[in-house]
Amino acid sequence: MIRSDIIRGHLDAIILRLIYEQDRYGYEISKEISERTDDRFQIKEATLYAVFQRLERKELIESYMGDVSHGSKRRYYKITKLGRAYLKETVEEWNEIKEIVNIFMEGL
Amino acid sequence: MKKIRTHVEEWFRDIPDSEQKQAIQEEITQNLEEKVFDLMRTGKSEEDATNKAIVEFGDISDIKLELGVNNGSGISAKDVRKRFGLHLGFSIWGSCLIIAFFIFINFYYSPDTIWFVYPTFAVLWWPLVMFYKWLGWK
Repeated sequence: MIRSDIIRGHLDAIILRLIYEQDRYGYEISKEISERTDDRFQIKEATLYAVFQRLERKELIESYMGDVSHGSKRRYYKITKLGRAYLKETVEEWNEIKEIVNIFMEGL
Repeated sequence: MKKIRTHVEEWFRDIPDSEQKQAIQEEITQNLEEKVFDLMRTGKSEEDATNKAIVEFGDISDIKLELGVNNGSGISAKDVRKRFGLHLGFSIWGSCLIIAFFIFINFYYSPDTIWFVYPTFAVLWWPLVMFYKWLGWK
């Protein structure tokens, strides 16, 4: 597992991206992150729900109650228009940052 | 599964009750239970699975921070007003009495020289400061 404090700053964008693809619920997102990174990065649930709270407060995502599993309803998250715009901007910003950092990190 | 519910309740115990707290608590319980079922499907006993889910949950303080920030910002400005409202009232009454006292002495003992304005200016700083504190200025 890698140091999570560097990834931490990008968690909002990572989670937004997953919700952007389709509406998802909490556990599904943490599973998806572990799967896609081959368990190299695992998000702590506590962090995940804190991010949900933050994104919802910023109106980048919204939630609704979905289907029933194991006796109780799942809460699904859905990206808003504002969230899409924010994600697009973040991706552009990330590409820029990546290029800049790469100038110094590549070739060694 | 009752263990999960108890644990989640324990984590959230010192957060003041609200609809938001209720919702997030419910959501976390539901998601953790699902994780436990998943872990059990991979061959773990219920107890092992529950423990793993609880240990992997992480630090609740992140969520507390998010929930706290929500309630905190709204109250603080109002709180400041309420607190300094009393100070402001006191300072206005206090300075009025002091000024009246100086006016009385001035006109009673030395009506030919008007000197009460000097202490009046000095005393007026008091309600002025309290007024700006009440407005919420630093």
